[in-house]
Amino acid sequence: MKVSVFGCELSGLVTAGALAQTGNQVVAMPIGVAKVEDLRDGVLPREEPGLSQLVKSQIEEGGLVFESEWETGVEHGEVLILSMPSWRLDRAEEVVKVIGESATRDVLVVNQSSFPIGTADRFENQVKQAFARRGLSAEVSVVAMPEFISEGSAIGDFTRPDRIVLGSGDEEAIKKIRDLMRPFNRVTDQVKVMSTRAAEYTKFAVNALLATRISLINELANNAEHFEIDMEEVRQGLGSDSRIGFSYLYPGCGFGGPSFAADVKSLVGTLRSKGYDADLLKAVLSNNESQKEILFRKAWRFFNTDLKGKKIAVWGLSFKPNTSTVENAPSINTIEALVAQGASVCAYDPKAVPDFKANWQDGSGVDYSDDMYDALEGADALFILTEWKAFWNPDYALMKERMKTAVIFDGRNIYDPEVIRAQGFRYFGVGRGETV
Amino acid sequence: MGVENSEAWQALKSHCQQGVGDVHLKTLFEDCGRANSFSIELDELFLDFSKNRITEETIGLLVSLAKQQELPEWINRLLTGDNVNDTEDRPAMHSALRASGADVEGEALNVQAEIGVQFDKMEHIVNKIRSGQWRGYSGKPITDVVNIGVGGSDLGPLMVTHALQTINSPINLHFISSIDGTQTSNLLKSLNRETTLFVLASKSFTTIDTLSNAETARDWLEEAISDSKTLLSQHFLGVSTKPDMMTKWGIPEENQLLFWDWVGGRYSMWSVIGLPIALKVGMSGFKEMLAGAHLMDHHFGTAELNKNIPVLMGLIDVWNINFLNIQAKAILPYDARLKYLPSYFEQLVMESNGKSVNRSGEKVSYKTCPILWGEVGPNAQHAFYQLLHQGTQPVMCDFIAPIERDDFDRNSVSDKDGSLRNQHELAMANCFAQSRVLMLGDAAIPDSIKEKFNSPFKHYPGNQPSNTILLKTISPKTLGMLVALYEHKTFVESVIWEINPFDQWGVELGKLIAKEAHAAIKGDESICTFDSSTQNLIKRLVK
Repeated sequence: MKVSVFGCELSGLVTAGALAQTGNQVVAMPIGVAKVEDLRDGVLPREEPGLSQLVKSQIEEGGLVFESEWETGVEHGEVLILSMPSWRLDRAEEVVKVIGESATRDVLVVNQSSFPIGTADRFENQVKQAFARRGLSAEVSVVAMPEFISEGSAIGDFTRPDRIVLGSGDEEAIKKIRDLMRPFNRVTDQVKVMSTRAAEYTKFAVNALLATRISLINELANNAEHFEIDMEEVRQGLGSDSRIGFSYLYPGCGFGGPSFAADVKSLVGTLRSKGYDADLLKAVLSNNESQKEILFRKAWRFFNTDLKGKKIAVWGLSFKPNTSTVENAPSINTIEALVAQGASVCAYDPKAVPDFKANWQDGSGVDYSDDMYDALEGADALFILTEWKAFWNPDYALMKERMKTAVIFDGRNIYDPEVIRAQGFRYFGVGRGETV
Repeated sequence: MGVENSEAWQALKSHCQQGVGDVHLKTLFEDCGRANSFSIELDELFLDFSKNRITEETIGLLVSLAKQQELPEWINRLLTGDNVNDTEDRPAMHSALRASGADVEGEALNVQAEIGVQFDKMEHIVNKIRSGQWRGYSGKPITDVVNIGVGGSDLGPLMVTHALQTINSPINLHFISSIDGTQTSNLLKSLNRETTLFVLASKSFTTIDTLSNAETARDWLEEAISDSKTLLSQHFLGVSTKPDMMTKWGIPEENQLLFWDWVGGRYSMWSVIGLPIALKVGMSGFKEMLAGAHLMDHHFGTAELNKNIPVLMGLIDVWNINFLNIQAKAILPYDARLKYLPSYFEQLVMESNGKSVNRSGEKVSYKTCPILWGEVGPNAQHAFYQLLHQGTQPVMCDFIAPIERDDFDRNSVSDKDGSLRNQHELAMANCFAQSRVLMLGDAAIPDSIKEKFNSPFKHYPGNQPSNTILLKTISPKTLGMLVALYEHKTFVESVIWEINPFDQWGVELGKLIAKEAHAAIKGDESICTFDSSTQNLIKRLVK
């Protein structure tokens, strides 16, 4: 099938690469800062395990072509896929305009992006109206197919999905997309067909539910500390309840990332613009902002409100492991708070240092280390903000040797309090370890 | 010889007696060029003083009186930092606070460096709080700041922050002033100890009203914070002229902001006392307010007397009070944001000029400060305007209104913005209508409905004089201009009356006697030396 993908961020590239791999002829077009020349050379705007190889191999085999002119994509594709970050609605509007003005036959658009509920219907009407103005009689269908990929496991999420949600009332369109997605829908039928708006809302609802779950477990963990309860024990008790389960049940220093918080915020905003309040979701968001500073607050109390001149080592800047992104990451809030109190910070992250630097306003107060142990040199305390695998079993002796005082504030609960205490560390986790 | 026997005063007296005092405003307005002749504009502030019972000759004679009283020299003494507050032997350099280091001379120039040091410290604190990096004891950012102060340490910041309410602030501000504790106990119920910071603002740091409220706040915090060092360093700021007293109370040096005894309490919002203002609008906004006031200072110091807004307003008030025998003045802002402006001016004007001895200590034989009061105009229309229109008291009024509002988009076509624009126009229509009716009285009634007003109960004598001040909008800058205008016009009157506007001995005795009464309430035997009324009242309290 001939497919055109608008958007060459993570979701667009994964979609384009995976569809090319299954034999489709895919044309992909950037809508933001990514340059066609770079993409053709295999230089991608985001790091993602396996993605670079996938894109390169599909370029070589000729299934994937990058183009800059959107008209080329409109002309090429039997299916036109909009795959953009939620904050690029403005670009999507422009693409839809080009489709309306330049398409010459039936149009089938698939929107994967998390735009406000109702966007797919609106786009469909816009294209129909443009066709009517031009006197073009051709079918127009915009299907909502929200993406459920996560950074770090994006390709697997796309090619082996839990479900494929398709929102449309157009049976022909559904049939065609079903066929397009057939290679990823083999073991059991994972396609859930529903109304366009229900499909759009499903994406928001999933993120709202997960965000709420994380914030709630965080609140439960914070409160467990007041009773000197180890939240890990409670987590076992909770997760084993079949109604609850274990996923998204880890307390920590808050969620981040480009889509999670943004989707919940967008939903709250959409509701407010319609005159409704999402009280619980607003609380989830503010609770999470506060949670991002939890390690700072622990250190603030541990050092008796005087962090001036303290040296803090930070392990992990990205919002989660296996990504180079710091968008909405706790590292930003935490390090801002430390620096504002006059502490100096030395940070180590395997991948996210460049992105952190780009997001750090004035560039001062933070040093970066290429080696996780070097970052500890002379440190009064270590903050762990991302659970990169390399941090799980470190050389404790070397750590103690480098640090001025052996104190760990662990925002991801990656150590066993007993073990780490036996190694001679003071240890403060989230709902675990010492209470301060 | 008192001013009342001087040549210039007598000239005004005979000018008044020769007819001007009896001419009705509606007659004066037969000259249609009057509004243009009797109005003046400075930057974003416009004054229409045409609705006063004056002629060009009146202005000339008043300016002669000002010159006779050496007003230009006094203005220069004030602005350069001479000891114009002679009973306390010190200058009154509020204008130096807003000079930003430039355009000043004399002592006012000498103090610029120390002013700069305190403003820099204030800016550091303000930025830390506004950016969410001033932390409470648990590490959470401070979200609520409570200003505990009274009089000048309360009214200025309260008035200005209320006036600037359309500007979003990351900090919730609260004000506690009254000694009785009601405000404190009510407010504390809604605040979180983790995220609340108190500002103790007291020039002397001995004000019992402020210190008693501060003690209550401290007790409240102690219920959650065991470490007193943390409690004091993270939850209290001090603003005072007395660093030793602040230190003694427990406020650490880095949390102290200083001003000086040459800043009068009622002129202190331009100093670090303005901290809540800066928390509301940022230090840049606070400095815009200072710059607005400085604009007025510069005008006051350089404009000719007959084109000088504070001079004209002060002289016209003198004319009204001393020659037309008007002893009351109403401040009538036509915007609810200026709700506290009347209270602010009550203190500024009556604490400054509510005096009856001249600088030499002799009792004066003429009237000085009028009784001044006010209220948001549209609300007051439903209250005391009856007296303005038909009472037996002549009253002079100052109408104050913004031309534009900044809380809706002027070009928007939305229904809500359309309604808000309409409301603003309605408020302005009322403002202009009221000053017109006060001036013209019955003459304002259109011929077509005159019949309906043919009754002694529907008679409007008119002839009540007024000023109208229009601000471009309510902003830090225009508020700075407006308040500096009233400060200076109050000073102008004091110069004519030969009184010192910068002391306030009248409020001292009451404080002293309150201490005795407190001792008596606590059981001191001194009660038997009190008058029978006070004894009875105390007995009712302690039984």
